[in-house]
Amino acid sequence: MLRPFEIHEPGTVEEASVLLARFGIDAAIYAGGTELLLIMKEGLAHFPHLVNIKTIPGLDEIALSAEGDELQIGPLATHWDLERSPTVRKHAPLLAEVESQVANTRVRAVGTIGGNLCFAEPHSDLATLLLAWGATLELSSSEAQRVLPAADFTLGLFETARQPNEILTRIRLPLLSENTAGAYRKFSTHERPMATVAALLEVKDGIIEDVRLAVGSVGPLPIRASEAEALLRGQSIEGATFASAAELAASASDPMDDLHGSADYKRQLVRVLTAQALMEASGRAAGETNEG
Amino acid sequence: MSEGIGHNVPRVDARSKVTGEAIFTGDLKLSGLLHGKVLRSPYPHALIRRINTDRAASLPGVVSVLTSTDLEDIDPYYGHSIKDRPLLAIDRVRFVGEPLAAVAAEDEVTAEQALSLIEVEYEDLPAATTLEEALSDDAPRLHETDTLRPGLFHGLGELNPDGNICYQHSIHRGDLAEAFKQAEIIVEQEYTFPAVYQYAMEPHTVIAAWEGKSVTVWASCQHPYLVRAELAELFDLPVASVRIIVPFLGGGFGSKSYTKMEPITVALARKARRPVRIANRVDEAMVTTRRHNMRCWMRTGALADGTLIARHVRLWMDTGAYADNGPRVVATAADAAPGPYRWKSFQVEAYCVYTNRPPSGSYRAFGATHLQWIGESQVDEIARQAGVDPVDIRIQNLLRPGEEVRPGGKALDADLVGDVQKIADALDWGSPKPPDTGRGLGVGLLAAGARPVSTAIVRMEIDGHATVLVSSTEMGQGVRTVMSQLASQELALPIEHIRVPGGDTWITPYDRSTGASRSTTLAGMAVHRAAREVRQQLLEIASQAFEVALEAIELRDGAAWRGDQSLSYSELIQFHFGFTGGELIGRGEVSPGGNKGSYAEGPVFWEVCVGGAEVRLDRDTGRLHITKLVSVADVGQAVNPDLVKAQEMGASMQGLGNALFEEMIFDEGQILNGTLLDYHIPTTEDMPDQFISRLVENEDGPGPYGIKGAGEGALAGVPAAIVNALADIGVQVTELPLTPERVWQALREAEAEHDDGGSPS
Repeated sequence: MLRPFEIHEPGTVEEASVLLARFGIDAAIYAGGTELLLIMKEGLAHFPHLVNIKTIPGLDEIALSAEGDELQIGPLATHWDLERSPTVRKHAPLLAEVESQVANTRVRAVGTIGGNLCFAEPHSDLATLLLAWGATLELSSSEAQRVLPAADFTLGLFETARQPNEILTRIRLPLLSENTAGAYRKFSTHERPMATVAALLEVKDGIIEDVRLAVGSVGPLPIRASEAEALLRGQSIEGATFASAAELAASASDPMDDLHGSADYKRQLVRVLTAQALMEASGRAAGETNEG
Repeated sequence: MSEGIGHNVPRVDARSKVTGEAIFTGDLKLSGLLHGKVLRSPYPHALIRRINTDRAASLPGVVSVLTSTDLEDIDPYYGHSIKDRPLLAIDRVRFVGEPLAAVAAEDEVTAEQALSLIEVEYEDLPAATTLEEALSDDAPRLHETDTLRPGLFHGLGELNPDGNICYQHSIHRGDLAEAFKQAEIIVEQEYTFPAVYQYAMEPHTVIAAWEGKSVTVWASCQHPYLVRAELAELFDLPVASVRIIVPFLGGGFGSKSYTKMEPITVALARKARRPVRIANRVDEAMVTTRRHNMRCWMRTGALADGTLIARHVRLWMDTGAYADNGPRVVATAADAAPGPYRWKSFQVEAYCVYTNRPPSGSYRAFGATHLQWIGESQVDEIARQAGVDPVDIRIQNLLRPGEEVRPGGKALDADLVGDVQKIADALDWGSPKPPDTGRGLGVGLLAAGARPVSTAIVRMEIDGHATVLVSSTEMGQGVRTVMSQLASQELALPIEHIRVPGGDTWITPYDRSTGASRSTTLAGMAVHRAAREVRQQLLEIASQAFEVALEAIELRDGAAWRGDQSLSYSELIQFHFGFTGGELIGRGEVSPGGNKGSYAEGPVFWEVCVGGAEVRLDRDTGRLHITKLVSVADVGQAVNPDLVKAQEMGASMQGLGNALFEEMIFDEGQILNGTLLDYHIPTTEDMPDQFISRLVENEDGPGPYGIKGAGEGALAGVPAAIVNALADIGVQVTELPLTPERVWQALREAEAEHDDGGSPS
């Protein structure tokens, strides 16, 4: 049952930050509400104060940076916005592709990218994708502003580097180079994925120059499979040992036993998804289409 | 008439439901209504040393706090099969989630807050939270089983309690040892079926208003008359002083059969002297009733040519801390265990076991769902060993109409061979299969109908419109539409002139229950007879009015016709009463009549449970993709074919959920996935690529026009079909649900065995 709470509707990031600082652990940021209201209704958490940041103008903007080298996404952009945005589809089609598969239609319609990242539910598509992508996140408070790489943002189960008075104000996604191709794979039996894998391959003259491989949803937070990346770097795209890389990613994934499945099974999923994602990315790279 | 039986009349309640006008119990507003909340046990088994409600009672807004000490003036035990359950825990809690106190307050938030102020001191007791624990020699005892009291509607013969077993039931035919001696192929295995939640969109909701020496209850219940009887006995009232009103139900599926949250709500209203509403949340509904988890051992013997000759089954069902409908589920499971085959001998020993888990009760196609996938997987295994096609082995062994299903029971009343052939046709049986694709089918029977006692009244009022008074509960299955069609057929009256209100035990007459696929057949027969009485009266009045013989009159479109002359029903009724007022009343009843025998001599009819599936297996992940599901509804005569197919689809999807992923996971009696966040029910995304439903109308049922019930069978047929389709790909499983991980593990084991066998690769 949803217990009574007070809702605050600040007009600026600064006002929101002041409210969050004032109420401390009694407050939560309200954006899409798809996760927050669920846990509040289930009685798993109670916040006497909700700070609705949807009243702050401009936080849902999606635009190319002035330099044209990165996509700048406001935290209030919904999954639908990102799936449908012509800018995203043109400059970061892989993001649009992933967004089109998040949860279900109802969640996509109101759930936001900022909420997804800040809630830090481990079964998140975006946390895995953005880790591989090398996104950076801007956090603002009434006192300061800072920029963190996605890798330093998620700290654990439902835990991020965001301070209580900070608001995630922008997600910055560098555009992928001409010769980089990406792919994303997940396994889910229901709304939340049990395993997620994102792979980005930079290929030049048939040689894998760089690999960025992220594995998520099997443990508390997504990780980079650096041994698998190291193995593939410098290999020719034709002779690449994707199966071995997948094996390394599975070993590195450090899954936990839980209701979603045993660690053994999750390692198998990582193995399968990694091989599939790498194959697809390499296919896209070979097809010389920029799917990043 | 185009609105009588056999036509796809639009649901009469569709408009009010999609516009939100339809009233459910939770929508009702009563003056002075209080909100009740229930304090539930956090322990699977504990003594209640002390309950202090002082702080809760003094919270502003709290009107009453109820504990078992408020029940000392009544016998507070109920249970329709076994009277084993106190309305609130007395001295001892037996499962996590058991109610031990309740609060009535001016609003829900205050009531919930008051719960946290109730202080309870528990003393932990050893618990038996699994079947294995409950059946062990040194198991803690949940109840003194030697002094169990039968409930008002047990109808089960001897209980034969023993330790934590509250009911045993066995059936047998022939000389089992002799039959197995002749067997040339024997398949033997142990199986596990999980605990499952009968999700209904509307959790249990009750409003009770206690006035003087009577009580009015609005309840989301399937069986108002059985709830009335139990409440009357609990609170020592004449049955007529208990009024049960049933608005629309947001789904039942068995979860709202018999008495659930009504006793606590009435007790709270009795203490508060104001109307009280208790509305379960989903997590509370899950610990109110669930489907039995089960352990089963089965052995089947056959001749080398695939002739089935012997089957021996032992099964143990976990009924939780209180029997609820467990004994009936166990008896029905025993009935389903042999399967519809021509055995030389079979024997079934079935046990209903108390454990420190939430109580288990009815869920659509209970017993049959538990057993059919097991029996049918053994039939397929025998077919494989005998080198016989799965369709052929069934044609070879299936019972034919008129043959005995079980000793003393009704003979087979369906064409099972025809049903199986329809499944095979729809699956393109025998056509080449894509890689990693399997096909399977399952056939079985479900004892249906419950006790055949139903009554109905049809009133035709002065304007010629009719009201059908029948206590069948509209819970989404379409019963109000079907009753309208049955009345329309007899009365020759357009459906928009027929009204079927909800059940109200002060007004609508007795009906045993809404369940066991019985309403269209039995309550429908009562409505048919009541309408026929009114029809007869109309004909007689018209014969007087036209001064012709009865046979010269035709009833059509709300009027009596003699040639091209007509008198509307309204004119006939005015003619009859000689006044502008009056009404015609017809009554209908169905009863077993002189049959004084036990329920065990039933069933009213055998509901056919058949299903077919085509599945594709992803070997890397173990995930099954259902490419095709097939059901056959063997209904005698469809009143509304679209509604039958909608029920088939609903039952099939629940069967798919039961087969593929639904499972309540317990750890030491505590449910780990106790909300819809973690317990997954089937959604549109789980739909098979193709769903085919075939109707069989052989007019071989006991209802009017040869109708027999439907709507449950596919839930038993679909898991059997899916399990067999997977075995067709070479993966045998003995435990449901078929989660990808479980299938993947089974695949790994099968591959390991294959490697050990040193087969050439």
